[in-house]
Amino acid sequence: MTLWISVVVAGIATYLIRFSFIAMFGKVEVPPLLERALRYVAPAVLAAIALPGLIVRDGGVDVTNPYVPAAIVGGLAAYFTKSIGAAIVVGLPALWLFTWIVG
Amino acid sequence: MDTTATWKDGFRATLPILLGIAPFGAIFGVTAAATDVDQWAAWASSFLVFAGASQLAIIDVIGTGGAAFTAIFTAVVINSRHFMYSADLGRYTKDKPMGVRARMAYLLTDQAYLVTAARFPDASNAPGLVPYYFGAALALWGTWQITTTAGILLGAFIPDSWQLEFAIPMTFAALLILAVRTRAGLLAAVVGGVVAVAAVDLPYGLGLMTGAAAGVLAGLMADRRYG
Repeated sequence: MTLWISVVVAGIATYLIRFSFIAMFGKVEVPPLLERALRYVAPAVLAAIALPGLIVRDGGVDVTNPYVPAAIVGGLAAYFTKSIGAAIVVGLPALWLFTWIVG
Repeated sequence: MDTTATWKDGFRATLPILLGIAPFGAIFGVTAAATDVDQWAAWASSFLVFAGASQLAIIDVIGTGGAAFTAIFTAVVINSRHFMYSADLGRYTKDKPMGVRARMAYLLTDQAYLVTAARFPDASNAPGLVPYYFGAALALWGTWQITTTAGILLGAFIPDSWQLEFAIPMTFAALLILAVRTRAGLLAAVVGGVVAVAAVDLPYGLGLMTGAAAGVLAGLMADRRYG
């Protein structure tokens, strides 16, 4: 149920964001401070999701878990190919390899 | 350009991009299937929210025990970039009926905006913009629905030992690598990530919000300093 509520409300909110300036006849400009802040939303949020997901294990920081080297390998693939798909296609087998080495 | 664009032109311009969207859609679906969350709600997010990174973030927050308001806030923050697209697209659609604009807004994505903006650099003279946009946007919408649905169906048959949950942080790390272009952006990422890790024990998944806010603030301060 929590997920349903989240999806429906996030869907409505996302629609309102998309419609906002299109609806206002394009006569209203984006406020400059908002425009500047929006530039940093992507890096800040993406890192705030990715880093804990990669290095926090069972409630504690563990930089030696297999996710870390696998993400470095996948990250290099993304960097050189500019592709998210490549990060997964390369990163996942790397994770299996590192899990097997540790295990 | 002198020739009027049609929906077919928009559709065609989008084809190479679909090759990048399709695997992301499949990854989203398969990853959603690997988590314990309500599969129907995860599936419905593809047409209710229709924004990949935020859909994945919602599932990540709820799947790790976060509250609904954290998931919603995170999705809104991730999708706030659509303000920019909406503002730019609004310049082209001033004289269009509200119903057309309402439908254009529902289909607005990074790719639909970028493809259209690339084809029509001049907002004051854009014949065929609306059909071109719909040709591109509907191709993206259809591809997203098909690939996410296929991913969820397929994901149910994939064993846990494949560790597909890894795709969530890996996807966000890859998006991050592609998003950082300036020193201030890099600082926003470092501060956002480190603060989120330090605040990971906060209830309701609030660590994510704390990290995001700190990162944006750091980026703004660095922006002011470096110009």
